[in-house]
Amino acid sequence: MKYLDKSINELHELLKTKKIKPIDLVEEAFENIEKNKELNAYITLNKEEAIKEAKALENLEVDNILFGLPIALKDNIITKGLRTTCASHILENFVPIYDATITEKIKQKHMIIIGKTNMDEFAMGSSSRTSYFGAPRNPWNKDKICGGSSGGSAATIAARDLLFAIGSDTGGSIRQPASYTGIVGMKPTYGRVSRYGLVAFASSLDQMGPMTKNVYENAILLNAIVGKDEKDLTSAEKEKEDFTRLIGKEVKGMKIAVPNFLMGDITSDEIKKKIKETIQILEKNGVTVDYVDVKYLEHAMTMYQIIAMGEASSNLARYDGIRYGLKIEDVKNIEELYLETRGQGFGEEVKRRIMVGSYLLSGENAKVYYDKALSIRDDMRKEFKKVFEDYDLIIGPTTVSTAYDLDDPMDDPRKSFMDDVLVIPVNMAGLPGMNIPVGFDKNHMPIGMQIIGNSFEEAKMYQLGSFIEKELNLDLTPGGEK
Amino acid sequence: MKEKLTREQILHVADLARIKLTEEEIEKYQVQLKKLLEDVEKINEVKGYDDDILIACWDENTHLRKDEEGQMLEPKEVLENAPRHAGNYIEVPVVIAESEGA
Repeated sequence: MKYLDKSINELHELLKTKKIKPIDLVEEAFENIEKNKELNAYITLNKEEAIKEAKALENLEVDNILFGLPIALKDNIITKGLRTTCASHILENFVPIYDATITEKIKQKHMIIIGKTNMDEFAMGSSSRTSYFGAPRNPWNKDKICGGSSGGSAATIAARDLLFAIGSDTGGSIRQPASYTGIVGMKPTYGRVSRYGLVAFASSLDQMGPMTKNVYENAILLNAIVGKDEKDLTSAEKEKEDFTRLIGKEVKGMKIAVPNFLMGDITSDEIKKKIKETIQILEKNGVTVDYVDVKYLEHAMTMYQIIAMGEASSNLARYDGIRYGLKIEDVKNIEELYLETRGQGFGEEVKRRIMVGSYLLSGENAKVYYDKALSIRDDMRKEFKKVFEDYDLIIGPTTVSTAYDLDDPMDDPRKSFMDDVLVIPVNMAGLPGMNIPVGFDKNHMPIGMQIIGNSFEEAKMYQLGSFIEKELNLDLTPGGEK
Repeated sequence: MKEKLTREQILHVADLARIKLTEEEIEKYQVQLKKLLEDVEKINEVKGYDDDILIACWDENTHLRKDEEGQMLEPKEVLENAPRHAGNYIEVPVVIAESEGA
């Protein structure tokens, strides 16, 4: 029994012709997860419920391509009746009483939720090492990080446990771990996917998206999760489209920009070399590639620090130990309850960010820092829009280095921001960004390329992504073919 | 420039954030928060931008949903996640102590 190595189309055919049942796939997924237990990719497994659902599906008609397929959700996406911790002590025992809109959509497609994946606490971090439940490990080398914050989702896909996972991306948290683990990760345009039921970190930046082995399956999953939602005012009303529709179409004549900032000194030579090789392939196939300057990119990290920490401090004010969360005994008054719940419940990185955020938004500081960041952010978005007047897409490296060691020091508070320096600008401008694997470094750790599109042009990104994927034809199974 | 923030500065931001810190944490954050605050200071080096601001990135016309009665949560379910509850109420510790009130 080895079905989960097959493509989505093959699986769909097998399910449709009743050659296999959803339970076969669910059991195989749990076997894989058990075999790869040391990756620590999951915080909570949904075994009993998943098996029950798979059996119930046997009586239903296979009505869509995602029917009966297992999926993993990052543990900051709420799931009715299934523990959702955000990898935090403060929510260790939190069981949601309703579903996120994305969870509902996934259930409507009759996909089966296998479990909740490990992550940085409240999605704050770049290596998933801030998880209260311990860091997940990289399937390519278990002594290395798998990136973050959607590290568990990346690890389980890279390890070939199953085909589909959902991550969230506030400042690169889908694309960066996708890059470190050699998978495809899409952060859609801000507004594409309803954020209702995604535990808020920085509301003006947060967005969820698919993490998969390949481009086609990524586009299929995106088809299922987008749409206007009355419960999220910032979700966009768009005509229904098929994100796979441009896959396989020729890329000849496309115009692509490469921001000089992404290919600057901060990025390792090995990664730059791989990106340049990919660019040569594109040029050989009739794509025009130009290096361009995009103003303000070098300031994106500073803007991000101010906006993300500011919004986080406000969003995380809700954890007061009253309506839900950690139970603290023997407190004298309500003030002490707040202080103790938050003091004991949050981890180091989260406390750090909340404190800086509170400072940045307090009194006059809001004008000095936050308003200024929002103002420069507007200019940066206009700069991106100018690039898209002349170019179809933007490309560049996703990360400045490949995955580093799990036991590298964690005491530099800048590190988690520096790791994301190339992926942060996309969130600041609300644009869609996607990682695709383009090769390996000298230690055979994956290298990723970022494709950035204009707002709501994900289909075009998939077109280019699938072309590169096909041209490179990399073996992306850790440890070789299974 | 000093290498770290003062103890008082850390206690001030911890108070703003309603977080109780241990002695060990206070010392660590004196150095770490200093680094982050140096970083955000760099925003003042940026020049040449216009006055428009961008709060969030969406080009759509937004509208509020209709104010209609929708599905409600069951009080019993809501209470299940509350650390303390009694009957249909969530319990909280003393908000204003008697001795302070008089």
